[in-house]
Amino acid sequence: MSGSAVHGGDEINAIVLDPGSYYTRIGYAGDDFPKITTPSFFAIGPDPPKKGKRTRIFGEAIGVPRSNYEVKPIIKDSLIVDWDAAIEQYKYYFEDVLKINYKEQPILIVEPVWATTEYRQKVVEEFFANFDFPALYLAKSPTCISFQQGRANCLVVDIGHDSVSITPVIDGMSLLRNTTKTHYAGAFLNAQIQDMLNKKYPNLDLCAKYLVRDRTPTKYPEEAKYTQRQLPDNITDSFYEYQQLALWHEIKETMLEVPEKKLASDRETYKDETHKRSFELPLGQLIELGIERFELADSLFDPKSYPLRDQDKFPPTNGEVSIKTMYDDYRPVKRTKRTESSQSSPPPEEEEAVTIRGLSQLVAHTLTSVDIDLRASMAHNIIISGGTSLITQLTERIQADLSNTNPGLKVRLHAVGSSAERSSQSWIGGSVLSSLGTFHQMWVTKEEYQQAGAEKILNQRFR
Amino acid sequence: MSANDILDVLNVQRDSLDLPAKKKQKVLNDVAAVHRQTGLSRELYSLLGPNTPPANLSNATSSGTKSKFNLKPSPWTRQSFTAQSGDQKGAEFFHWVKGSKELIEQEPEKPYIFEKFNVRLDIPELPDEATFDTYMSELLQDEEDARVKEEERKKVAEESTKSNSTEPKTETATGEKTDTQNEEKTETGTKEEKRSTHENKRSAPDELKNVEQSIPPRHNWTYEETVHLFELCNAFELKWPIIFDRFKYPGLREEDLKDQFYRVSAKIYQSQPNASHALIESLKSFSRVKEIERKQYLEKLLKRTPAEIAEEESLVIEARRFELAAKKMLVERSQLLTLLDSPQVTQSTQQYQSSQGLANLYNNLMIIDKHQKKRQLQQQLRLASSSEPLPPPIPSAASSSYKRDRTFQTQLQQYLSNVLRQSQSVNGREPNAIQQLLMKRLTVKEEEAYGLHYHANERLTPGVMLRSTQRLAGTQQRQSVLRSVNTLLQELDIPTGGGTTWRPVMPTRKTMAKYDELIRSVVVLLDVKRARDKLESEIKLIKSQRGIE
Repeated sequence: MSGSAVHGGDEINAIVLDPGSYYTRIGYAGDDFPKITTPSFFAIGPDPPKKGKRTRIFGEAIGVPRSNYEVKPIIKDSLIVDWDAAIEQYKYYFEDVLKINYKEQPILIVEPVWATTEYRQKVVEEFFANFDFPALYLAKSPTCISFQQGRANCLVVDIGHDSVSITPVIDGMSLLRNTTKTHYAGAFLNAQIQDMLNKKYPNLDLCAKYLVRDRTPTKYPEEAKYTQRQLPDNITDSFYEYQQLALWHEIKETMLEVPEKKLASDRETYKDETHKRSFELPLGQLIELGIERFELADSLFDPKSYPLRDQDKFPPTNGEVSIKTMYDDYRPVKRTKRTESSQSSPPPEEEEAVTIRGLSQLVAHTLTSVDIDLRASMAHNIIISGGTSLITQLTERIQADLSNTNPGLKVRLHAVGSSAERSSQSWIGGSVLSSLGTFHQMWVTKEEYQQAGAEKILNQRFR
Repeated sequence: MSANDILDVLNVQRDSLDLPAKKKQKVLNDVAAVHRQTGLSRELYSLLGPNTPPANLSNATSSGTKSKFNLKPSPWTRQSFTAQSGDQKGAEFFHWVKGSKELIEQEPEKPYIFEKFNVRLDIPELPDEATFDTYMSELLQDEEDARVKEEERKKVAEESTKSNSTEPKTETATGEKTDTQNEEKTETGTKEEKRSTHENKRSAPDELKNVEQSIPPRHNWTYEETVHLFELCNAFELKWPIIFDRFKYPGLREEDLKDQFYRVSAKIYQSQPNASHALIESLKSFSRVKEIERKQYLEKLLKRTPAEIAEEESLVIEARRFELAAKKMLVERSQLLTLLDSPQVTQSTQQYQSSQGLANLYNNLMIIDKHQKKRQLQQQLRLASSSEPLPPPIPSAASSSYKRDRTFQTQLQQYLSNVLRQSQSVNGREPNAIQQLLMKRLTVKEEEAYGLHYHANERLTPGVMLRSTQRLAGTQQRQSVLRSVNTLLQELDIPTGGGTTWRPVMPTRKTMAKYDELIRSVVVLLDVKRARDKLESEIKLIKSQRGIE
């Protein structure tokens, strides 16, 4: 308590759970980093699940090749899709790894802004039913990110694995109506990389690392020299795909670079020899990527110009989310258009016909949808977060694009320098939030939830 | 045997070294002297000699650190608490509290320390549906009345503008132009543009009308909607962006919510007997239309093109430059004025017209000048004590000319006063007695008496100079020559002013000249002597070489 006077903290060691589309993070409030960062996937065998026995495999153990084991995602778009697996995963980490006593502390669950009322209700009910936590709280992830940065008013740009979402945060509370979200994020990039490699090197075996025992590096047109590993039979396709994720990740981390401007405007400069980098595939073959590096990264900003072969996976979206069932299409009336006198102004971005919005456009669109009184402070406090935002030059590009489209606003971007922190920013924010002394009045107990009713709790208590 | 004994044996003298050391020790070890060292025997202690460490090794500090190490760890207790109190009991959590378990159990139960931060806004309670309906109908009535009044006012305004527009021809033309545009119902934006360029008197009310047309009429609020609104206002402490965000009924603006909340709140307060009048007034001062308008203008401001922004910025920079230049000019002007502002003559100048008076004036000026210098110095260094005390002013009687030419001067004074009296009595005919006096050709004796001297071909530095500080022309010699001159003067018992400057004790013009002459001749004498010595020694050398002698 002695420190509480200084920073307003009061440690009760609450559990913070941040289920992300790629990684799930679990840890104690007040820590600067989650105790557990585990993939949001699980592996399950062919046998039917037995009562009282854990049948699913979590964590790094998923990566062990087992015959007939399927690897499935628990979370899609930051929302839990496989409830049985999710509960089992959390139980495994709470009880077997962290060995916590449920009674001693509450749990804070980070949720995305676009979670529906039914979903949130299910979260609360499932947690009260399956775990013995005395109280819980659902915190919106942009709120957490704003707490991590210590900015009460900000525009959170979260570029994650499954989705890019942009949420204005006012006084530490997320504005749901103004939130926009697209899926031009990490998984989209994966598909882009796969498409590009297939197109450029049709005969290349991409393989996955687990299949290879040892290899000798060769340059691409040559044959790959490697020996295969002895593996059990019947490795499932889902396992193979899961393993390939690591390859896409490596390419994203090491190769991609965002061009300064829309790539279509000056392709020539990026065709230069100096922009070429080589990459070693799992089989030991070296391939060289030049302009492709920029094209891939540019696809986040201009998805329309880079159509995927598999169109169904990522249908075109302009990022508008209907969050509540009551939500209608009302949008604040925009300024009356000036037809003749605005030749010199930048080309109007916000047309009703816009079907696809790239990252910068999405940010700019969200910014214009925010109330005019808040817009200046929003533009001055844009927080870039999420693992995919770590692509080289990404923040610079957003900055440049926004300054161009909003000459009247002073645009300032904030991105955490440490890469580890940037990808688990919302967990850290949750940790900050749930270690504050003033926050402890906000926890909701089971009794209160039952008394006050789901709607009131969900909409007014969980802010 | 003490250290002194050893040093004595070794024949080392250290008395001179010892003294300051002892002094220092006394200052440093004042406290130590009270706490006598006990651990060492006297002999051993004195063997330490003068190398005793300067630090004070008293027991107090060592015992302090010791006690710190020996301290028991302060007890902390894991205690349960509930964050919420009152009717809604929250969950029980655990945190660590400083203090032993017993101590904490004794303490009376306090509310949670952070509870006080949970503030609630004083938001009026919405009455039941029936009263709400009456409020709403009342509000509608008020609104209707206001609108009728407004229309009347507008009519009057329009008439006045019509009468205005007939006056100048150009204005009517533009007025008609806008009128036709109004009928055509073109884009409001272009109209506004045009109007802003024309800037005629009609623009303000016209624009208002336009904006009002674009603003949708007030929403018809139902009881449920209002209840929901008040609920949200309570839950989110009047954070309007969030209330607007969470408001579940569609089709409304943030301003609509504010408007409804403020006017209903005002109604509720009005119905209460002891509500503050100022609060109601402030609630009523919210204007939905004005707010929407304001936001539209802001929006327009943001939509400026980069060129417009750049232009504006350059204008601002230019304006700032003008401002700076004006400020600079003002400063310069004030400096000039202070320069021109010479002290006004308040007393008669008669007292300064004698040489005695002049000497007095000079002394006074010197003193004032020194005072000022001193003050400047003090200001610069902020060290009042460091500046030297002022030398006492030289009494006027000590000046040389005073004593010697007393008789003559009294005569002169008499003469001058006579002349001045005359000039005063016959004012205007002979303007300046002193000028006349100066114009008169003076005899050599008179010149000498007045101390007048014509520097024919001497170089003079501008300004006042004292003869005592004047450097004699003859002293511009090498240092060694000057030294021998000095010894010669001492031999001859000729007194010098002393110090580094060579001057007679009483530096009048005559003595100075004589002195200069003397020094020059001494230098010549010395030169001659040196030459003679040299020649003599040479002769001696040659003589010895040639074997003469």
